[in-house]
Parts: sequence; structure tokens; C-alpha cells
Amino acid sequence: MGVREALAGLARWSPVPVFPIVGGGARDLVRDLRLRPEVELVATPRHATLLLVAGRFPSGAIPGLAVVHDQIPVPRATVRWNGEVSDEISSARLVGGDEEDLIATLVALHREMMADPSRSGPPILPDVDAVEWRGVGPYGHGGKGMTGGTPYGRPLAERAGDRDGIELDQLPVTIGPWVGALPWGLELAVKLQGDLVQEVEVGPRLSTDPPTDVFSMATRKPMTVAVLELERARHHLRWLADALSIQGLSALGLRALRLGKILTPHHQREVRRLLAMVRRSGIFGLALNRAGGEVTGSQAKGLGPVARAGGVDDDARRDEPAYRELGFQTILHQKGDAAARWRQRMAEVTQSLDLSDRAGDRTAFGAGLVEGPRGRITANGPSPSVVVLDLLPQLLSGLEWGDAVSLVWSLDIDPTESVETHVDNRGAS
Amino acid sequence: MALLGSALAVFLAAVLAVGMTRWVGDVLNPLALTVSEKVPFSGGSPPDFHAWNRFHIRWYTMALLFLAFDMEMVFMYPWAVVFVREGLISPVEMLMFILILLVGIVYAWRERGFEWA
Repeated sequence: MGVREALAGLARWSPVPVFPIVGGGARDLVRDLRLRPEVELVATPRHATLLLVAGRFPSGAIPGLAVVHDQIPVPRATVRWNGEVSDEISSARLVGGDEEDLIATLVALHREMMADPSRSGPPILPDVDAVEWRGVGPYGHGGKGMTGGTPYGRPLAERAGDRDGIELDQLPVTIGPWVGALPWGLELAVKLQGDLVQEVEVGPRLSTDPPTDVFSMATRKPMTVAVLELERARHHLRWLADALSIQGLSALGLRALRLGKILTPHHQREVRRLLAMVRRSGIFGLALNRAGGEVTGSQAKGLGPVARAGGVDDDARRDEPAYRELGFQTILHQKGDAAARWRQRMAEVTQSLDLSDRAGDRTAFGAGLVEGPRGRITANGPSPSVVVLDLLPQLLSGLEWGDAVSLVWSLDIDPTESVETHVDNRGAS
Repeated sequence: MALLGSALAVFLAAVLAVGMTRWVGDVLNPLALTVSEKVPFSGGSPPDFHAWNRFHIRWYTMALLFLAFDMEMVFMYPWAVVFVREGLISPVEMLMFILILLVGIVYAWRERGFEWA
């Protein structure tokens, strides 16, 4: 047995490195895979063996799929979970069913790839440079710019003034939609000077079908407060899991994710302990205090925790009789920055669990307007993520990239939620 | 002559090490990178511009910190020799000097000069 075969034999039994491409309706399912020891969700295609495509995509087209697929080194394979196989990934293995079915397929396919690399998925894109590097000299050297020519058909960065008044290069880079540093599906066209973000444009929205979660259902018919508040607490814990992982606190993030999955109103003590650990981690003093990103006043209206973190007393639950009976009072923070948004959601987790515990069989909403975990959901209005995405360019400009990432996660954006007509009105009376 | 022999041995060992490393790499992964694999990963969007670019790395904050601590040392060594002889005036002078330097350090801190990464 050669060295390669021996290493491949060992790799067969390692956790399956999976790079996910996640569309509408699959975020929570894919996020929960982090809790499974059989798989490892990796940050880049370079570390992956399998490409997992999950969820719905607008008109079936998956942006960036071909590029990501071809950046996975061979042997590689693609798994399509609960969706259709498009022409681009005709070699993909189609899997339906639940998480267990998916895990079994991923493990089997990974072992297949390690045992027989010749079964690797073929590349989608042609293996040729966009344009050959050619300058003006006889050996392809020289020409305009710092290095001469247009290397591989790509022009060099443009010139622009920086924050110190110096005219230097400004590099336009499109980041996303499947980069681990940003929420799945978010694409940002940024102009960078070093790691300083100078300009930002938000890329195409990945809006899909209307959502079918309990908050969307509550726009059409009254729902029990206990269910709504438990789901709100779960949502904030899942957000916390993502945000902690991005800040490098993966162990705490996994703890939050695990708790969110099994959460009941009786887990208040465990939640308080987790939140105390987050506060003690030093994240507020070390990372979040630099991100800034104040969202206050009229621009925060309807943005739920984002608004309340900026001192805007805006919560549709105040107008619901069921919540008034429970003595509901809005929690407010004042600064409206990234740290305040973290504190706001952490405080609302315990508040929601308490409400869920005491709610009994009280029901609320059902008349077209609901206070969702990201903000106000109306029958025909823009979703909270649409509003936040419109704010991103002004919030991110001038920040260093690391702070920009912290800021994006503090806003709790779901790009696939970003549909103009947010709620499915079919069947509404 | 012995020195030349030693240098030659080191040179040959270095060449051998580089050759071995490349050979082991080729054995373990005989496939050359494709064009797609060579492109930096940015989340599925191919790069439109080449990544070579000049940006202001803000060395001046580091220069400021270097000068502050360097000047402190430049003054403290002679001060350490004479401060017993000069009496109470010398610690007061040194304190004033350190406070002035501290303004520069605080300015560098405000400009994020202590954030190396």
C-alpha cells in the first residue's frame, strides 16, 4: 500500500468536511449539522470533500455554484438536500428526508470518494485562464500599472483617496454569497483600501418563497403566545450561536446551538448560565465595542431588537391583550450599536422564556401584523432583512473589515428572507 | 578549504531538502491545480480585479510608538546616572518628560497603533 492510499484510508474515518451552500428554508437545518460529530462544516471549499446544496433558490439558479464547486479539490462530490438537481450539478446525489438520511449519505459518499477518487465530480467551468497574462514586452512583461499588463485579464486596482488623504489603490472585491464570514446568501461588493471598507453595495437578493415559520403563520391566524415566545428564544439562541462562532468563540457557540435545539421554558437556568458565560468571555470589551454601527430613530422603526437596542420603544406585542395580561414590558437599550444589539437579544431570550412559561393557552396576533424575532412582519410590507440590507452600505463604509463582519452579524440578517411581499397571503381571509 | 567543503555540504543538503519536499508533494498530490483552484476564494464570486494593490498600512502609528519609547530610553540612561546627585528636581523633570511622551502614546492608541493584527 502506497503513502497516498494509507492517508486516504485514514481520511475515510475522519469527520466529513462539508462546505454548505444554503438557500431559503434550510438555514436552521444546516446550522444544526454543527452538532453532529460525523460532519464538519468547513469555512472554505479548499478544506471540503463534499459540497452540500440545501434549500430553495430563486428560479432554481444557484449563484456562485460553479465557482465554489470547482474550488473543492478532487476527489469531490455534491449532495443536493431536499431540492432539485440543476443542470450545473447533474452529477449531484439527491437526498430527501431528515437529518439522519443526510448524514448517512454524506458519510457514505465521503468514504466512496476516499476509496475511489476516480468517481470525483467533473469540473463545471473550463480549465483555462480568462485572459493570458500579456504585457507589452517580448516576454509578457511591462505595460501600464505597477506590475505591467493586465494579469490574467484582471485589471489592477483603481486609485482613490484614503482616510489619511493619500491617493492609493482601491481594490473592488465581491465577497459572498457563500463565504463563511457573512450570513449565507449575502453578497457584498466592497471597495477596500487595505482592510478598510470604503464603499459597499449589497448584491442580488436571494429571496425565495414566502416563509412558513410560526411568525408568518401568526399573520393569518392567532397563535399561542407560548409557542411564539419559545420560537423567539430559539431564534435568538441560534443567532447567538452563529455570532459567537464568527467571533472565534466556537465552543460557546456550540453550547448556544445545543441549548436552542432542546429549548423548553424550563431551561431558564441553563440559558442564564450561558448568557453569563458570554458576558464573562470579554467579547463586549474586546470586539464589539469597535464595531459601532448605530441604528437609532426613524431608520430603526419596525426592526425589532435592532430598534429596541437603539432606545426606540417599538414592539407590536405591547398592543396585544394577551401580552398585556402577562405584564409584558419592552426591554430597551440606548446606544443602538453592535454591542447594544447583542445585549438586547440576550435580554430578550430570558424574557421570551419567562413569557412562554407563564402564557398558558393565551393566543395573540392573527390580524396581519406580528412582532417577529427580527422585527415587524406585515402582510405586504418589506421584511426586516430588506430594510437592514438597505442600511448596510452607510453602516459599513469606513469600518475595518473585521469590525464590518461583527456589525453585519449584530444585525441578524437572513438574505433569503428578503422578499418584498413578505408573507404568504394565500388562504388569508 | 575545509570551510568551503562545509558550505558546499550545507548547500547540497539544502538542495536535497527542497527536492525531496517537492517530490513528496508530487507523490501525495500528483494533480496540478486547475485555474479555478488557483483563484482566491471569495464566496463564489470570481475576482474582477487583480489583488496586487498598494494601500496605506499606517506605519506612522508604529513609528510614533517607537519614537516615544526610544526617546524615553535615550533620556533615562543619563538620568539614571545623575538623579541621586541632582536630588528631588530630577524625578520631577523625568515625570514631566514621561507625561509628554504619554500624550504621543495615547494618540497612537487612539489611532489603533496597538492593534497589530
